[in-house]
Amino acid sequence: MEIKSMHFKANASATLANVVLQGNLKNAKGKFVTKRAEAIKDLDDFEGTRDAATAIRNKVIDNLDLWLECFERKALDTGAKVFWAKDGAEVCRLVTEIARSHGVTKVTKSKSMLSEEAGLNQALEAAGIQPVETDLGEYILQVDNNEPPSHIIAPAVHKSLDDVADLFHKVHGTPRKTEIPALTREAREVLRGHFLSAEMGLSGGNFLVAETGSVALVTNEGNGRMVTTMPHVHVVITGIEKVIPTLEDLSTLMRILPRSATGQSISNYFSILTGVKKPEEHDGPEHLYFILVDSGRADVVGTDFHAMLRCIRCGACMNHCPVYQTIGGHAYGWVYPGPMGSVLTPLYAGMENSIDLPHAATLCNQCGIVCPVSIPLPDLLRKLREKQTERGLRPLTERIGLRVWAWVAQRPKLYALGASLGVRYLKWLAGDTDRIRLLPTAPEWSLGRDFPAPQGKTFRELYAARQTRKGATT
Amino acid sequence: MPRVRVGLFVTCLVDLMRPRIGFAALKLLETAGCEVIVPDTQTCCGQPAWNSGDAPGAVALAKKTIAEFEGFEYVVVPSGSCGEHVRIEYPRLFADEPDWRDRATALASRTYELTDFLVTVLKVDSVPGDHEGTVTYHDSCSGLRGLGIKEQPRSLLAKMKGVSLKEMNGCEECCGFGGTFSIKFGEVSAAIAERKCDNVHASGAQAVVGGDLGCLLNIEGKLRRMGDENTRVLHIAEVLAGDA
Amino acid sequence: MSSREDILGRVRVGLNRSATNAAAGRAEMAAALSNRSHGPKPAIDSNPQALLARFRIKSEQQSSTVDIVAQDSDVPVAVERYLTAMKLPKAAVAWPSLAPLDWVGAGLKVEGRGARDADLVGITGCFCAVAETGTLMLCSSPDTPAAVSLLPETHIAIVSASRILAYMEDAWTLARKELGVLPRAVNFISGPSRTGDIEQTIVLGAHGPYRVHLVIVES
Repeated sequence: MEIKSMHFKANASATLANVVLQGNLKNAKGKFVTKRAEAIKDLDDFEGTRDAATAIRNKVIDNLDLWLECFERKALDTGAKVFWAKDGAEVCRLVTEIARSHGVTKVTKSKSMLSEEAGLNQALEAAGIQPVETDLGEYILQVDNNEPPSHIIAPAVHKSLDDVADLFHKVHGTPRKTEIPALTREAREVLRGHFLSAEMGLSGGNFLVAETGSVALVTNEGNGRMVTTMPHVHVVITGIEKVIPTLEDLSTLMRILPRSATGQSISNYFSILTGVKKPEEHDGPEHLYFILVDSGRADVVGTDFHAMLRCIRCGACMNHCPVYQTIGGHAYGWVYPGPMGSVLTPLYAGMENSIDLPHAATLCNQCGIVCPVSIPLPDLLRKLREKQTERGLRPLTERIGLRVWAWVAQRPKLYALGASLGVRYLKWLAGDTDRIRLLPTAPEWSLGRDFPAPQGKTFRELYAARQTRKGATT
Repeated sequence: MPRVRVGLFVTCLVDLMRPRIGFAALKLLETAGCEVIVPDTQTCCGQPAWNSGDAPGAVALAKKTIAEFEGFEYVVVPSGSCGEHVRIEYPRLFADEPDWRDRATALASRTYELTDFLVTVLKVDSVPGDHEGTVTYHDSCSGLRGLGIKEQPRSLLAKMKGVSLKEMNGCEECCGFGGTFSIKFGEVSAAIAERKCDNVHASGAQAVVGGDLGCLLNIEGKLRRMGDENTRVLHIAEVLAGDA
Repeated sequence: MSSREDILGRVRVGLNRSATNAAAGRAEMAAALSNRSHGPKPAIDSNPQALLARFRIKSEQQSSTVDIVAQDSDVPVAVERYLTAMKLPKAAVAWPSLAPLDWVGAGLKVEGRGARDADLVGITGCFCAVAETGTLMLCSSPDTPAAVSLLPETHIAIVSASRILAYMEDAWTLARKELGVLPRAVNFISGPSRTGDIEQTIVLGAHGPYRVHLVIVES
């Protein structure tokens, strides 16, 4: 997917000015938060489960090469084929080749963020193969001019009922419907035909089970089951970090993934798919392919950002992020929004392309608290800021400003003088009011709020005066 | 009981913007029987440098602060944010310098946010001031999620006869300040602050109280820009000291 | 160099892979695969009556409906009763394994085969059920095709009370014991298909069934 993260600030600004979108975001905000809070209550030991989930993910990423080899061996034993892709271009090439080798003209897809990373739909279309997104949210976006998703779990969360009603009326040529069940039914009917006629199904994978060589898929709509049951070819594309050891580990992770994502104790459908259909079976694909994708992941192994590989893509961090709640997902400019996106985008799509993202967070640590695999997201964002500074990627004025501040702050006398002058300057700006309407030194502050005036003198001045008075009276 | 010797770290923001919070903290500690020393060489704990990706600057300021304060029995900070930086981040700054890491760890274990210190260490059973009116409490992120400051300020407010606490919705949600975030992404920051202010208004409280001056400046600035001239924005120290 | 070698090579570099730490890693891996350790689980009363009660409550919370009958031979009548009450057609596709039941005697036209798009009602059994979450575990095979629980708008599942287990972990143990290897598709089903993609409002019947009805057989 084309990266637009360098326009974060402008995009965020446009989002804030979009009244309809702000309404939709306001409406969405909090629903996921409330549901998650309810859902984790019925686990007697949420923190213990979180620790166990963290340990499972660590176990794999700390020996990732070995687990990948183990998974590959098992998958081959089941009759699946395993391919490896270094980047998005290779994903597109492999999928297109597989499709061509089976004479495929249409591919039904269940939600895959890796497919978004790779820009797979465009590649398939260019090869004359029709990709059909079947997750309702993804479908809505696909028929709306291939709009990118704004959330990894609820891709169309930025759209209102009215938006969808207008869209379906336009693209399906049907009378405009205003009830959510009717719109859902309309999409179901359109997509059912595609499920039955597509020769190939493409899915992501929530987990790859090393013990059995299986892929585990979590869905609510049943589209994941459709694309892996009806067509005769099934292609799984997943990141190389998605391996987990055993089926028991899967059970532990399933206690925590749906709760963190949608606030469900379990998702409606949870499928563990292993190998291909036997000749006497009625359904299921005859051909199963795994494409294990790197796209930047291998280079994260063993670095300061290693913990990020634990991510199970639940979306809890963005649901709870004050910045995401305010501007939605599109402003982040690539596949993954919110805190996890602000870590992943610089790592996978280039630090120089996403200068703003690590800074687009208040470091409130709400994300770190809710992450089901304990990823210290604020620490990773801070670390990225450090890397940017080391590489000289931050604006010169900012770098100089920081150095000067740190230099002065190490020299108490100079600092005291600077502070005293600065405070008087601010006081002068406020005049005889208690606020500064426009802060010349930090104009961004005053875009949406006033800056309260300082008291007038610094604490150290007043304290020194008090100590002198005390000395005089004793 | 011998007097507890406390080093007061007023923080750079209080020094510049609201000295009265520093004096309120001083009053609270002295009333509780502490011997309070305010080192006059103190400047900034280094958190802005650390959060902005300037690790060398952060390390240098941490060393300076450690040297200034490690002689005290306790160090008290009227800020959850700076308190968290000293308590949690300082030891992590010195992965490659074991000597400094030990000193940082030692200081961290003796450093407390003001309300935490009054409740957990001094176990005060009264506070010097009183305050008439309804207040709502904003839980600042670093204090809440970094140091577990939640009940401490509330239990102290509960000791004041005139105060009635009206909790707001989303009191644990970020106000949008975020240090340099507020001046890098001013529009987003102010939009988050607006939600906080809406919650303050919905609580019906006459004043919003918090433990971090950064958040309070942000909330006050937004309230005033929204045309609210009445809701007072107060630091917990001012309220407890009866200076508000 | 193949992409495989390139990727694995860079992973190994990141992990500082050496002969020594590879041996240690392999030992850890073997231990993980053989220990199959469990994470914390919510406490559940494992008494059979309690499991049945919990399974029922959790299933209903997932928007399934539940009927309980005494024995296998009561199932066709119970299915007919449900279809009549719901004003649904008296014809269904069923797992071939269920064909021997006396459907005709209950006035139903039931065909044991794989599912087709036109089928409105699908009848399945289940390998076992999980009380923790009110979940069915279906294993695919020639006699138990996967699409029967997916294509029709109504899914009726027959559940033996004796096969209601406490946790998903118990289901894996049972599958290893009875099936040896995993079938092509293990589907855990918790109620009718649903979506919340429009304004996070839950709507039942996304791409799979609109309704799931469970007939639990007590004996």
